[in-house]
Amino acid sequence: MMIWDSFVYFAVVAIILWAIGALAAWKDKSGAAVITTGLGLAIFFTFILTLWITLEHPPLRTMGETRLWYSFFMPLVGLIIYLRWRYRWILSFSTLMATVFICVNIFKPEIHTKTLMPALQSPWFAPHVIVYMFAYALMGAATLMALYYLLRSRRHGVSSALDERSLFSLDQLVRSGLAFITFGMLFGALWAKEAWGHYWSWDPKETWAAITWFAYLTYIHYRLLPHHRTRLALWMLVVAFVLLQMCWWGINYLPSAQGISAHTY
Amino acid sequence: MTQHKPWTIAAGFAAGGFLLAVGIVLQLVVGSVDWSVYAWPVNVYVLGVFVALIVVAHALRDRFRALRFLSSLQAAVPALVCAVALTIVMGLMRQDGAGGWLSDMLSFWPFVIIYVYIAFILGLVTLKHSSLMLRPRRDASAARQRRPRRWLDDAAFLLNHLGLFLALVCATLGNADVQRLKMVTATRTLQWRAIDEQMCVVETPIAIELKRFIFETYDDGSPRRFASDIEVVTRTGKDFLATVDVNHPVKVDGWKIYQYDYDAEQGADSQTSVLELVRDPWLPAVYAGIFMMLAGALLTFLGINRKEVNA
Repeated sequence: MMIWDSFVYFAVVAIILWAIGALAAWKDKSGAAVITTGLGLAIFFTFILTLWITLEHPPLRTMGETRLWYSFFMPLVGLIIYLRWRYRWILSFSTLMATVFICVNIFKPEIHTKTLMPALQSPWFAPHVIVYMFAYALMGAATLMALYYLLRSRRHGVSSALDERSLFSLDQLVRSGLAFITFGMLFGALWAKEAWGHYWSWDPKETWAAITWFAYLTYIHYRLLPHHRTRLALWMLVVAFVLLQMCWWGINYLPSAQGISAHTY
Repeated sequence: MTQHKPWTIAAGFAAGGFLLAVGIVLQLVVGSVDWSVYAWPVNVYVLGVFVALIVVAHALRDRFRALRFLSSLQAAVPALVCAVALTIVMGLMRQDGAGGWLSDMLSFWPFVIIYVYIAFILGLVTLKHSSLMLRPRRDASAARQRRPRRWLDDAAFLLNHLGLFLALVCATLGNADVQRLKMVTATRTLQWRAIDEQMCVVETPIAIELKRFIFETYDDGSPRRFASDIEVVTRTGKDFLATVDVNHPVKVDGWKIYQYDYDAEQGADSQTSVLELVRDPWLPAVYAGIFMMLAGALLTFLGINRKEVNA
């Protein structure tokens, strides 16, 4: 597919802009950070849009195409968090994550342009996948924050390394992510009813989606519990993100899901 | 009355462990859950008893510490942990019924009991939150000043919890009433029979004749569209033409007709088409729950950025 040959140019320019933005954030030049990150996002989205037009359907079909959205949403979520809470490190992390996913797409494409089979020709297709990818990006950012806090609190102790304000921001991030996971899951249920005749069939993808959803619910409820252990709560976020990976792509390699999932791509 | 300390999360894990043990015993004594028992009208009675139990438990909450405990986070968090653990087992085991209890998780008593327990907690929590909202607050003005968006939080809380309760309970109890029939339709034949999930031939209230099978492919030969032009005749006297496409079922008399399969060898020349007829009388209740959860998620998201620390 011709259009994918030009991906590397768009990607490199976007990564350079995001990296400059991340650097600017470290140096507290917030104006420059926002502008360059935004510019990188615009360039990256130009590629997505061009691909969309070339394919004549939204590029959400293959694993490579969902990674494309993830690489787009990661810096976007980083930018939103930066605008909201001014964490100097968040743009570096989001740039790094996006770069990893872009590199996977360049070196292990899995982007062979599959034609869109009838089951995927639905108005639910785009909202279902885009909302999920955005949620995954939010949860990715939350996991990075959790790991950062875990590392810091191990070095400096919980009380000195973690204030209520940072944990509260983390909760807001997870709650936003869970709201979007809920949208993605329920859009999927409404779509499944139209496509397959039932809204929930415990297909392996659905089972792991339920696991992920309940895992994040556990975190949110545990954080509300008086006298809970902060580090345990942070570990819950890490575990939940591992379960999310299982739902996203892990089931493709899971023996119990081979050959029976209707979500194969 | 002496004020007791509230039970801790350890008690919640004890309760979860106890329910799992009860589930194992039931599994050993009566065998797997037989869901067909819950077909109409038994599921309505069960729903009535379940809701009545929740209401009674709520009414007696001031008298019994255990009932207050059931609507607490100390009970909810361990219940969620149990649900996650059991569902992970379900995700790791192939669900074909061939590998013992764990390969048929939906009929495994401990799994079912934990989800019933979660539904019970959800019901109690909904009632508790509603009654707290209705009770006049002594320091109402102070509270309002501190949390100007209280109604948003309350609405989100009720929609999230009641929505999940409805979706979970009605989907589970309604499952025995779902009918899914496969009908092989053919041209020049009005088909009145279909095959149910037990592979038995059944008469249907809807008859279908295939007018034309539509089959379009991409340049590489993979299917772009398969659909059926059909004539539908019902026992209620309806008679009309329609097109069934993948993702676009046809609705008639509480049934939905889906494009299910086709003769892959014949392709565009097929004179037959396999349709699926689905009826789910509990769907409106489940959808009410799903839409409440969607609204709840939206309100949760809208409420998030308005809050500040210790608000």
